[in-house]
Amino acid sequence: MTEQIERPRIIEDETMVDADVHLSISDADLIPYLDEPYKSRMKHSRLGASPRDGWDRSVSGKIEEDTAGVQSPQAIKSALCDEFHVDYPIINTFGLMSRNPEVEWSVALMRAHNDLLLDQFLDVYDEFKGLITLTTQDPAAAAEELDRVGSEKQIVGAYVHNTGPNPPLGDPIYDPIWAAAEDNGLNVAFHGSANGFMYEFPRQNQSLNQFLGVHVLAHPWSHMLTLTSLIVEGVVEKFPGLEFAFLEAGLSWVPYLMFRLNKEYSIRRSEAPLLEKSPEEYIRDQMYFASQPIEEPNEASDLNSIIDVVGADSVLFATDYPHWDFDSPDALDRHLRDAFTPEERTQVLSGNATEFFDLDL
Amino acid sequence: MADEEHVVARESDIDDGERLIVDIKGRDVAIFNIDGEYHAYINWCAHQSGPCCEGRRTGTTDASFDRETLEQTLTYSREGEILNCPWHGWEYDIKTGECLSRSGVRLPSFPVQVDEGKIIVSF
Ligand code: FES
Repeated sequence: MTEQIERPRIIEDETMVDADVHLSISDADLIPYLDEPYKSRMKHSRLGASPRDGWDRSVSGKIEEDTAGVQSPQAIKSALCDEFHVDYPIINTFGLMSRNPEVEWSVALMRAHNDLLLDQFLDVYDEFKGLITLTTQDPAAAAEELDRVGSEKQIVGAYVHNTGPNPPLGDPIYDPIWAAAEDNGLNVAFHGSANGFMYEFPRQNQSLNQFLGVHVLAHPWSHMLTLTSLIVEGVVEKFPGLEFAFLEAGLSWVPYLMFRLNKEYSIRRSEAPLLEKSPEEYIRDQMYFASQPIEEPNEASDLNSIIDVVGADSVLFATDYPHWDFDSPDALDRHLRDAFTPEERTQVLSGNATEFFDLDL
Repeated sequence: MADEEHVVARESDIDDGERLIVDIKGRDVAIFNIDGEYHAYINWCAHQSGPCCEGRRTGTTDASFDRETLEQTLTYSREGEILNCPWHGWEYDIKTGECLSRSGVRLPSFPVQVDEGKIIVSF
């Protein structure tokens, strides 16, 4: 972090890679991509793929949930790219099937989501890149899916919904997934959700009385569990060519967890014997963190320090379009303009994502 | 420089409970009618610059807590007087421009007068 010397370029002139753009796929949309018996199940079932959990995202109708902007590549182009100056949207399906109890059904949904993504969203504009959705209940099936679609040109990584998988994702049972991701040259982005938080980890979240509490905790807790598990189980050492990104929990949770892991690792090293360096070094070397939803300290400049600690070489710009807590690019950029060099700003807006997703900009 | 007066509409153009968003010198300005009183604000949210004046109008929920009985009472009031930014739902009191979600924040407002049925905003 240094004093700004040159005047930063206006955001319209910056190349921006948005690490977190969601589709909003209805059950009906998936029907053509499912085989029997799942096709008929989807047609007839009232539950569908991802039954909602009963929470009111709209705050009694105060917030409008408008997903029209992600119904087609053309819609994404105008609602996100033109409106917010995003050049490269990294699109994930927001499939939540990794928390479903039925394994075969989840695997069928995983494949249908990927076929839909490839079929409808990635072959219109070269700048549109996608993450393949993986479900985790059957690791061998997820590894096969990586081999099936991982080499498609527009696929630049994998997306794992990490609220719900049990055991936590560093457990050795998942090693086939990470091995296949590494073999296919695809890094892995984790994304939690309040959906699923209702059913898992820890039980008490089922008794929170407001969605505010559920949503505040769902994302960072899911990531803290996943990150801790990946480190302590040594996944970062088993698959040194693999990198991980954590979407939609902002940044401030990272320094705390990183330093706490350092401390406990130094005391209990023999419980994590695969590790050859401090947790902090693995986190800095192999992990990225998406900016959205950018935290809002009362003293805005406090966040500059957080970004600085996490590292301008570890932060990915993301909007989370079109969800209700999405960030307009300026929410992050005002910090970057304020307190970081033009090079650091470019790293965050596009450079880190270019490395993580191996983009050819 | 003294503010200029802009005739933005006729009274009949904005019914009670309605709003009108107009362009004044390149800026979006919203004029709200609440019970025959007009309020004009910039359509530019203090949070992340979203189009706050295009959001839904609702009331809002407040609560009081009785320390003796340990009871919390919820009330819903000010129906139609609360503007919710469509981007992330920050709440604004249309009568004062005050933000309910973040204390100390207020939407910049402009004086409005009515003259012979014409609504005039000074800017
Ligand atoms: S821009 Fe208005 S609430 Fe965020």
